[in-house]
Amino acid sequence: MNRWGEKAIYSLSVLSCVLLFGSVAILLGYLLVKGLPALNPGLIFGSTPMVDALFLKRQVFDGIFPAMAGTLALIALAITIAVPLGLLAGIYMAEYSGRFTRSVFGFFFDLLSGIPSIVVGLFGFSAILFFHHHISESLAPCLLVSALSLAFLVLPYIVKTTQIALETVPQQTRITGLALGATRLQNIVFCLIPESLSTILGGIILAVGRCAEDTAVIMLTGAVVSAGLPDSLFKGYEALPFYIYYISSQYADQTELTQGFGACIVLLLICATLFTLAAIIQKKVRHTLLYRH
Amino acid sequence: MTPPKIKIESLDFYYNTHQILSNINETIPENAITSIIGPSGAGKSTFLSLFNRLWETTPGARVEGRIQARFSDSFMDINDPKLSVIQLRRAVGMVFQMPNPLPMSIFNNVAFPLKLAGITEKETVQNRVTTAIKACGLWPEVKDRLDKKATTLSGGQQQRLCMARALVMEPEILLLDEPTSSLDPRSGAMIEELMVQLKPRCTLIMVSHQPDQVERIADQVIDFTPGSESCR
Ligand SMILES: Nc1ncnc2c1ncn2[C@@H]1O[C@H](COP(=O)(O)OP(=O)(O)OP(=O)(O)O)[C@@H](O)[C@H]1O
Ligand SMILES: [Mg+2]
Repeated sequence: MNRWGEKAIYSLSVLSCVLLFGSVAILLGYLLVKGLPALNPGLIFGSTPMVDALFLKRQVFDGIFPAMAGTLALIALAITIAVPLGLLAGIYMAEYSGRFTRSVFGFFFDLLSGIPSIVVGLFGFSAILFFHHHISESLAPCLLVSALSLAFLVLPYIVKTTQIALETVPQQTRITGLALGATRLQNIVFCLIPESLSTILGGIILAVGRCAEDTAVIMLTGAVVSAGLPDSLFKGYEALPFYIYYISSQYADQTELTQGFGACIVLLLICATLFTLAAIIQKKVRHTLLYRH
Repeated sequence: MTPPKIKIESLDFYYNTHQILSNINETIPENAITSIIGPSGAGKSTFLSLFNRLWETTPGARVEGRIQARFSDSFMDINDPKLSVIQLRRAVGMVFQMPNPLPMSIFNNVAFPLKLAGITEKETVQNRVTTAIKACGLWPEVKDRLDKKATTLSGGQQQRLCMARALVMEPEILLLDEPTSSLDPRSGAMIEELMVQLKPRCTLIMVSHQPDQVERIADQVIDFTPGSESCR
C-alpha cells in the first residue's frame, strides 16, 4: 500500500475511535445532566425512611428500591443458572466433542445467539401459559420464568467464549499438564481453565450486562409495575429496565422523566459494580487455583 | 554397557498418511544418556513422544510396531491399551525445549505432579519438592521466593525448575527435547552436569543439536540423519 493509503487508514482508524469515544462521552454526559437532579435517596426510597427500607421494616412504594432489588435478583438467578450450564457446554464443545457434534452444536448455539430477545420472551410467555392451562392454575409469569428465559438468552455467549478460550490455549501449554501425568479432566481444571479465565469472564460480563439491560424478555415473562421487594420465585417482580421503559413512555410530568434518567444512572452503576465484582472474583478464583499451597 | 531399559522393534510412525519414522529398531540402555541427533524435521521430537505416548494428543497420529520398557523387572508394551497412560507419564518425565513453567508459584510448579497424582500429605509434598529443587541446584536461588510466580525466574532457572518438576515424581525414564538449546552456555552446562548426576537413578533420552554436547555426555547416540543407521 502506498503512503497515502497508510495515512488514510491510520487517520480513519483514529477517527473511528474518537467518534466512538465521543458518542459514549455524550451519552454518559447527557444521562448525567438529565438524571443527576433526580439522583437522591428520594428516587430510590420514595417517602420511606432509608433505614427502614434497607432493614425491610417498611415497604417502598414510590421509589425504585424494589426495582433495583428485582433486577439484582434476576441477574443473580439467571447467571447462576446460565454460568454452570454454559461453562460445561463450552468445555464439552472444546474438549470432548467430535468434529460432527461440534459443528452441529456450534451451528445451533450460533443460531441461538442470534434470536431476538423478544422471541425468547414470547417463548417463555407461551411456555408459562401452557403450564398455566395444563398443569396448574397457580403457574403464571414470575421471577423464575424470567430468569430461565434470560439464562437461555445469554447461554450462547458463555458457551462460545468458554469454547473459544479453551480452544485458543496454545498446544505447548495444553501438553504441559498432560506430560506431567494429568488426566484429561485434571488438565482442563488445573491448566486450561485458569489459563482462559479472563476470556471466560468476558463472556460472563457480557451476559450480566445483557441480563441487567434486557426489557423485552422480562416484560413478557414476569416484570410488573408494582410488586414490592422480590420475595418469591413464583411471583411477579419489579425491574429497573422495565421501570425505565414504563416511566419514560407514560410520564405525566418532567419530574417523572427525570426519574427515568436517574434510574438509568442507577442501572449503569449496578452494572459497573457487578463488572468490578466479576473481575475480583476472577482474580480470587485464579489465585486459589494456582497459588494456594 | 548397562542392561536395556527400552527395546524398540520395527517401529513405524505416521501423521495421517505421512510416514515420519520407518522400521526403527533400537535398544536404550538403563542408567545412561542416549542422545538422538539428526537434521530438523527428521522426527526426533516425534520419536521422544513415543515413550510417554504424548503423540496421542495429536489427532491423526498413529504408531505401528512395538516399544517395550522395563518397569520393576518385567518388560511391558508401552502401547498396550491396558497400561494406563497416566501412570506411564508419571514414570516417564519430560523436559521440553522451551522452559514451560505453569503460571503459578515456584513451589506449586514443582508440587503440581504430586497434586495430580493425589499426593497431598503436606510434609511429604514439602520434602519431595525441596529435594527435587535441591537436586537441580536451584535451591539457593529460589528458597526465599518459593511463593513467587515461576515466570519471574530467568530462562535457565525456569528450565532447571522444569527439571525439578519432572524429577519430583522420581521418574525411571527422563525425556529431554533439546533441553539446553534456549539457554546460555552456563545454564546449559548446569543442565548437562545435572543429567550426568541423574544417571544412577534414571534412564535419560535427550534430543540434541549440539555435537559437542553429545560428545561430552552421551553414552549412546541414535542418528536420525536419513541414510545413516549409525549407533555409537
Ligand atoms: N502435529 C503434527 N502433525 C503433522 N505433522 C507433524 C506434526 N508434528 C510434526 N510433524 C511432522 O513430522 C516431522 C517430524 O517432526 P519432529 O518435530 O519430530 O522433527 P524434529 O526432528 O524434532 O525437528 P526439530 O529438530 O526441528 O525439532 C516433520 O516433518 C513435521 O512436519
Ligand atoms: Mg524437535
